[in-house]
Amino acid sequence: MSRLILLALLPSLAFADEAVDGPEDEAADALPDQSLGASVGVTGGGNVTPGGLHVAGHYLYQLSEQDWFDGTIGFTFGSGGAGCFRDRMDDVVCDHDIGAGRGVEVTAAVRRYFAGQGKFRPFARAGVGVAIVRYGDDDLTGLAIPLHAGGGVRGAVSEQIAIVAMAQLFLGPALFGRGLGSEPQAGITVTAGAEFRLP
Amino acid sequence: MRAWILLAFIAACGGSDVSRAVGARCDDIDDCDDRCLGPSNDYPDGFCTVDCSDSGDCPDGDCVERDGGVCLFRCSGDNECKFLGPGWTCHEEALRANPMQKVMVCRG
Repeated sequence: MSRLILLALLPSLAFADEAVDGPEDEAADALPDQSLGASVGVTGGGNVTPGGLHVAGHYLYQLSEQDWFDGTIGFTFGSGGAGCFRDRMDDVVCDHDIGAGRGVEVTAAVRRYFAGQGKFRPFARAGVGVAIVRYGDDDLTGLAIPLHAGGGVRGAVSEQIAIVAMAQLFLGPALFGRGLGSEPQAGITVTAGAEFRLP
Repeated sequence: MRAWILLAFIAACGGSDVSRAVGARCDDIDDCDDRCLGPSNDYPDGFCTVDCSDSGDCPDGDCVERDGGVCLFRCSGDNECKFLGPGWTCHEEALRANPMQKVMVCRG
């Protein structure tokens, strides 16, 4: 008899689980197929990689069940001060601080979302960018093509809004003027921001 | 993969025996952080340095009396000045803080 009572109660227990996570919560947790985002953070560079305050705008577009295209335009604002000089062999050498220089970059990346917990979804991100690098006090300009790899976590605030925290490494070649030639770019960026579902 | 790691290492570590503060070649003050000792027999190809009153003011080297107090690289023989280029040799100079005390530094 007790087994029959238990069997009868099982469907009601399942219904209770669904009632805890209602349709409104599921809609808020679902990733939008398109969204716009803005983020702010810091970039650590050095030598001929700009660093400083980093501000970016994102456009996200769903590619598949797990993958989103992440198109980004980012700006890095660092401190000034000359850091290039001629060594004793008359070669141009640049050794800027970790937070010096300025840059603007357009990046094409892909976010892969993983199964999360509640309203939080972790993701990995990889892409490639094209950047213009500038050190004004040295009259030095360069063109860089860095690869990006990193990850973050997205937290749904509501159906329309989410907050995102992200960290990424970037590495790639750059070509500079003033006789400096080819130099590597390498750094790290940590940002936090918000994303808004597009209708 | 190894090439990218090497690339990152090279990007992160840059190095030179000289700097904009002391040692870099220069033609005018814009090439240096503080002061340029222009190309001459005393400073072949120019020499970036720092105005100083004591060797503690020098990021590198010693503060000598000549030219109103400038920082020059210390040495014990001519071989140690070769990295500065042709014409640089090791000479005795008076210290700025105590002209009675002598020190060996690189100059032209």
